[in-house]
Amino acid sequence: MVDTEVSVEDAEETIEQLRFSFWYGSRSNLNFKFLKDLTDDEFGSFLEELLDGVANAIDDGDPTDVIDVAYRWQVRAYTSHLGDPDNFPHRHRDTPVAALGRPLSEARLALVTSSGHFVEGDDPEPFGEPDLTQAEAEDRIDEFLRSAPELSVIPVDTPAERIRVRHGGYPVQAVVADHQVALPLGHLRRLADEGAIGELAPNAYSFVGASSQVRLRKEVAPRWAQQWRDEGIEAILMVPV
Amino acid sequence: MCHVSVGHVQRAAEQVGIATVGVYVGSFGHIPELMGVARAVITRHPMGRPLGAPGDEERQVEVLRRALALLDEPAPGRVELPHRYRPGTRRAADV
Repeated sequence: MVDTEVSVEDAEETIEQLRFSFWYGSRSNLNFKFLKDLTDDEFGSFLEELLDGVANAIDDGDPTDVIDVAYRWQVRAYTSHLGDPDNFPHRHRDTPVAALGRPLSEARLALVTSSGHFVEGDDPEPFGEPDLTQAEAEDRIDEFLRSAPELSVIPVDTPAERIRVRHGGYPVQAVVADHQVALPLGHLRRLADEGAIGELAPNAYSFVGASSQVRLRKEVAPRWAQQWRDEGIEAILMVPV
Repeated sequence: MCHVSVGHVQRAAEQVGIATVGVYVGSFGHIPELMGVARAVITRHPMGRPLGAPGDEERQVEVLRRALALLDEPAPGRVELPHRYRPGTRRAADV
């Protein structure tokens, strides 16, 4: 673990400390927490490309290059962080498949997302804390990663102004601006009205995906799956965030 | 980690007879294959923007349509969408 705290006396911040400061550190920014997984040389290349993109945007107002640099390095960092695929701890050699028994245009579909959404007045209150803030959730990410996830029920006709989100593992600003970025209730209602979906299940579900993987895999996910089957759900659209 | 979590949930749902499709961002586009997920759409969107930018309803709905279409296909199914991320019409909130 790298000590990301730099005191006034110790003003010589290393490049490594700088990279790590974006990972839940003094410059925490979940859009760029991947910087900790780059080498110092790669970080230099990232900065160089990013600044080239900024210079282009200054002249033509087009953010495409900046977005592209951020995206490409994000992919590179997360892919390299994975390491050897054979050693990936969640690897499975089999693929369980359930065929939909009838066309989706006749079937009941539910939405499930790991976005951390909930309805106002129905806060899952992680760790028994009422009104945990986004910043506090980020501070307590290690506790989330040790805990079993809770499923929040979100009726599909919930008005947008009653939808809340809190998640310490990903940058939430885009879903705060527009919940349909990860919780597309309005779009799915429209697709059901058009007939593309037979029936939208009355509830959508959200949970904080940053959670204990062992407990999720062994206890929680099988229990949720059985619950959904009991609710007559035939198909699920899943949106990981 | 969220993408791995959804991988577990997708597998559990398929095992009880529910057909699933997941929308994975490019950074985690390798997860469906590694985890044996039945159906996945992979976007070229940054983390935290799975369906598209805030206010980009056209892109959001297009991604949804591509994902839902996979549910009618024999699995396993994988589709990598070619579209680059584009800014939306709403500025992301200051949180």
